[in-house]
Amino acid sequence: MTHTTLASLAGAHKRYGKITALDGFDLAVKRGELLALLGPNGAGKSTAISMLLGLQVPDKGSAELFGHAPQEIDGRRRIGVMMQEVALPGVMHPRELLAQVASYYPTPYAVDAVLARLSLVNLADRPYGKLSGGQKRQVQFAMAICGRPELLFLDEPTVGLDVQAREALWRVVRELLHEGCSIVLTTHYLEEAEALADRVAVMARGRLLVSGSVAEIRAHVSRKLISCVTRLEADVVRGWPEVVQIDMERERMQITTRNAEALLKRLFREDPGLTDIEVKRAGLAEAFTELTSESAKEAA
Amino acid sequence: MNTTGNMSGARLWSAYLGEMRFELIKSLRTPAFAVPTLFFPIMFYVLFGIFLGSMRGNSAMSQYTFATYGVFGAMGPGLFGFGVSLAIEREQGLLTLKQALPQPPGAYLLARAAMAMLFVAIISILLTLMAVFVGNVPLTFMQAVQLFAIDVFGALPFCAIGMFLGALVSGQASPAIVNLIFLPMAFLSGLWLPLQFMPQFLQDSAAIWPAYHLGQMALSTVGAPSVGSFSEHVAVLAAVTLGFFLLAMRRMHGRGFRLLGARPKRSLAIIAVACVFILLFALSGVFGGNPVRPVDASAVTDPSAAAAGTPALEAPAGVAAPAMAVISDFDAGSANAAFGIGWRAAGDDMRGGNSTATQRLVDGGANGSKGALEVSGVIGGAIQYPFAGTMFFPQGPPMQGLMDISGKKTLSLRVRGDGQRYMLMVISGLMVDAIPMMYDFETGPEWREVKLELAGFANADFKRVKAIGVGTMGPAGPFRLQIDDVRLE
Repeated sequence: MTHTTLASLAGAHKRYGKITALDGFDLAVKRGELLALLGPNGAGKSTAISMLLGLQVPDKGSAELFGHAPQEIDGRRRIGVMMQEVALPGVMHPRELLAQVASYYPTPYAVDAVLARLSLVNLADRPYGKLSGGQKRQVQFAMAICGRPELLFLDEPTVGLDVQAREALWRVVRELLHEGCSIVLTTHYLEEAEALADRVAVMARGRLLVSGSVAEIRAHVSRKLISCVTRLEADVVRGWPEVVQIDMERERMQITTRNAEALLKRLFREDPGLTDIEVKRAGLAEAFTELTSESAKEAA
Repeated sequence: MNTTGNMSGARLWSAYLGEMRFELIKSLRTPAFAVPTLFFPIMFYVLFGIFLGSMRGNSAMSQYTFATYGVFGAMGPGLFGFGVSLAIEREQGLLTLKQALPQPPGAYLLARAAMAMLFVAIISILLTLMAVFVGNVPLTFMQAVQLFAIDVFGALPFCAIGMFLGALVSGQASPAIVNLIFLPMAFLSGLWLPLQFMPQFLQDSAAIWPAYHLGQMALSTVGAPSVGSFSEHVAVLAAVTLGFFLLAMRRMHGRGFRLLGARPKRSLAIIAVACVFILLFALSGVFGGNPVRPVDASAVTDPSAAAAGTPALEAPAGVAAPAMAVISDFDAGSANAAFGIGWRAAGDDMRGGNSTATQRLVDGGANGSKGALEVSGVIGGAIQYPFAGTMFFPQGPPMQGLMDISGKKTLSLRVRGDGQRYMLMVISGLMVDAIPMMYDFETGPEWREVKLELAGFANADFKRVKAIGVGTMGPAGPFRLQIDDVRLE
């Protein structure tokens, strides 16, 4: 049972009028993994998640949750959901909200245990409407996990959270993974995906661009990042063929390149006084930018 | 970790119950919902039914308003609970989240409907306690139970209408739109003011409002005059419920919401069959006719049928007139009467005219008595048959209660005035727009007696007298008249 597919989209198409949201999208969520779904705005992430949750039906292709159509309640009794934009009734207390959601599941966690796990005990009996934005997100996260889900959908879970709250949420996410829960995460914070994900799926314009581990995605990308202090003018260096992009951070020059060796030779040739050199493999953020911008160029 | 999505029956049942409890607590904690729905009907009843009614020395008023404010109370929770909350929760993503979560099918709708019915039950019980212990409304236990059931189940058509509105309009607009339907419908259905006080076209069109049908059932239950049979009313209400529910479901489905789960057809079929059954039962007369005061207008309009002793004449007569002879002597400093609602100045503005009348108590009554009632005003030319004067309602709500004065022989009063001709009229019978019995008399500076032998007026229905009036139908211009010592002997 270790590599069973829990949820999948196969050749999913969805159009809204003239806009194609999904254009033959394939995705499979395996047991025990944390899959991060990345993509620029309008890539079709929300539509894909909506289909897995049964909120949308593909025009063509199929969506499955635990082997059922996601509209069937049996499959959904095994998932937890945290959505990005939802207003819960402000007059109700977190304890009541949790108890209500827990009642939908066959074998939920005890409400008090979930409150304690997320350090929400002190907020449990206050009106939800009086909580801060970050506290509300934590309550929503608690609602997502209280049903003891086998598969958890988290849509931008850490937006609006301060650093401690984010760390705490990441800790619980890692614990859940350790306990065998599978997670689908959509996020704009690439460091979040880098920190948590076993597998990353990058999508753009309704299609899957690439999917693999964070390291594999990085390896897709030949770019490296050179950072140094130099007397050379940024405008001169920008004209060199090895250079993809230049950013200045005060006196430091950040150069993105596809050919680090050739660029380093030339830098030393032109400025023997070059100091403070760092060479880094591009991170997920750079990879993501490269992948999606290439895909945009192809489309153009 | 659970490996299947199976829920035990007990857990499923408790999920439904929990949803209802959650909805109830939420509603009670939301003042914008709880205050208008829960307290307005009760406050209005206390103010207009009990307080105003007792000021006019009339408990029948609190009886009429007891029935109609119960219906008013039955409208609010469903209309607002579905109309406003559904629109807001639909827009704010809560409904979407609930649909992604394994909320049991139909739990959202059931919880809301149950909440609305429970609110109505609370309103109905409070109103009943008020009516019996403060308003002195005569009510049997069975009447109270029947009225309770009418109010509580009567919440359902308004749930369906509210749901339709909630599916249609934006959350921001919904409170205004629901109010725009709620308040005029309550008024036009005769819940605040008896329909007889409204222009004819409004009386004629009242039957298009579901609240009218519920109101007539409630009125009939407390023994006030009403129109139509229970069967007709139940049939109309069942059809309204089903119709709006189906329209709302269609609209919600178009917006991507599956309120009845993945397989809504089965639930929809059950609901539709239930409504059709109620409709068929209603049409076959299971709910019975109007047990208290059936009004068969067609029989009444046909004089030959009436003379032949058909149902019109068998319709229950009004309350028997008290044995006392003097209705009013105006010596105690008020326009009250020995029974019924006292004398009220009346113009013809209800019928669209511009004639006005005011009344006041004056010193120096007939035969050296202490006081008399003076009516003065202006007859206008706005309508064909103007009227201004003062009216006396012997029994119950104006133009609704009936009194049987057939045991009396004469109706008399003393008058003096500005020399113009005035008339004494008796409005009777079950027809709403029947021509009243009228008797002309002259006035002068001295008191004189006007005395009618009731036996001489064959076209009046003295078993069912609604009002006795004194006034003028013209000519246009000012008038002034004093009356005293009104007797029914």
